Amino acid sequence: MSADATMPFTTVRTEGLTKLYGRTPALVAVNAELRAGEVTVIEGANGSGKSTLVQLLAQLARPTRGSIGYGQLTGADARRHIGLLAHAPMLYPDLTGLENLGLFASLYGVGGGLSAIRERFELGSFAERPVRTCSRGQLQRLALARALMPKPALLLLDEPSTGLDVRGVDRLASVIGEERERGAIVALVTHDAPFAERLADRRLRLDRGRLQEAA
Amino acid sequence: MKGFLSASWRIARKDLRIELRTKEVVVTTGLFALLVVVLSSLAFYLSKGLAQRIAPGVLWVAIAFSGIMAVGRSWERERDHQVLRALLLAPIPRGALFVGKLLANLLFVFAIEAIVLPLTALFFHVDLLPILPMLLALLALGTLGFVAAGTLFGALSARSSSARDLVLSLVVFPLIAPALLGAVVATRDLFAGASFWELLGWLRALVAFDLIFLAAGVTLFDPLLAD
Repeated sequence: MSADATMPFTTVRTEGLTKLYGRTPALVAVNAELRAGEVTVIEGANGSGKSTLVQLLAQLARPTRGSIGYGQLTGADARRHIGLLAHAPMLYPDLTGLENLGLFASLYGVGGGLSAIRERFELGSFAERPVRTCSRGQLQRLALARALMPKPALLLLDEPSTGLDVRGVDRLASVIGEERERGAIVALVTHDAPFAERLADRRLRLDRGRLQEAA
Repeated sequence: MKGFLSASWRIARKDLRIELRTKEVVVTTGLFALLVVVLSSLAFYLSKGLAQRIAPGVLWVAIAFSGIMAVGRSWERERDHQVLRALLLAPIPRGALFVGKLLANLLFVFAIEAIVLPLTALFFHVDLLPILPMLLALLALGTLGFVAAGTLFGALSARSSSARDLVLSLVVFPLIAPALLGAVVATRDLFAGASFWELLGWLRALVAFDLIFLAAGVTLFDPLLAD
């Protein structure tokens, strides 16, 4: 799949990316490239640094050394084009799904109103209920809408299929496939081997914070 | 600047909407403040004169403790479902997130003060009317300082549950101590009949403290949250 010409960046490169928590290394000199139109599965055992890498790519933590390049963009300009979906939905439990999406749409400057968002992500009546009353599958659909609303150039997925039923996993896989077709850079962290097998274009393996292979 | 203020207002409006729906922060911490005032009035009331002398301390103890609790609960909302991560990812200046949370927290604490102040006056025989404008100014300035400090460092507790109590006891309380001391002494002098000019030094000190914590909040919020 060739990258969409309208994407603000088509590769994300890490150079010498190192993250220490105190003296404990979580990532050590990771040089990697994530490309548009590809799903890159990041593999490794627990504690290998996968989630730390996602945190750094999402600018939720700062590297101790090294850098991450998002084309010509930096800071908030790059963040505008990053979507993050994790096991936790990252939505306010006491607001309705639509109120949550309305808040994030306003912070991202996504226009078109809530009805357009609802239509785009095919959200049912559950979106009008407080998030705390939603099922795991419904939460995941709302979280997907939150992550995909700004049409991200970089989509980061950290264990997104945890707790989903078969139908939910299928829907998630389908959405990830659509994002790849759209030309997004997709990084997927998962322990779900069949799910990874189904989607992976490339695999990066981390072992105790070090990149072992890029296949 | 317009985008900064607009993002701040959206964050604050979200907190107010949640609070109007749940009433969780103001009701629980307001009841705590009410309990402090009532128990203090029972424990320390020996005479009308003595009651008026201890009223400033009771007022500020109730406000400070319930206020810090309110700020903590407000940040807990960001920790539920890890929403703070989504907010930090949003393309807004992170200082705007601080200002938005500060605005909402201030409104929560002012709501608590609206309950505590008349009750303190009632239980401790303080005639509020002659001193009300100056007392409101002292409350506003004193509250802004400690809520700004609490909002800045309370964010750390939202990122790490293990550090929550440590942050409060080791960082926030020592930092807000000067502002609280200033506010208590100025309120004591006001209750004792001090004029505006006699209180001006305290007012200046509180303004300086507020400006320091506002500036620190806007500039340090981003580096503090990046672990």
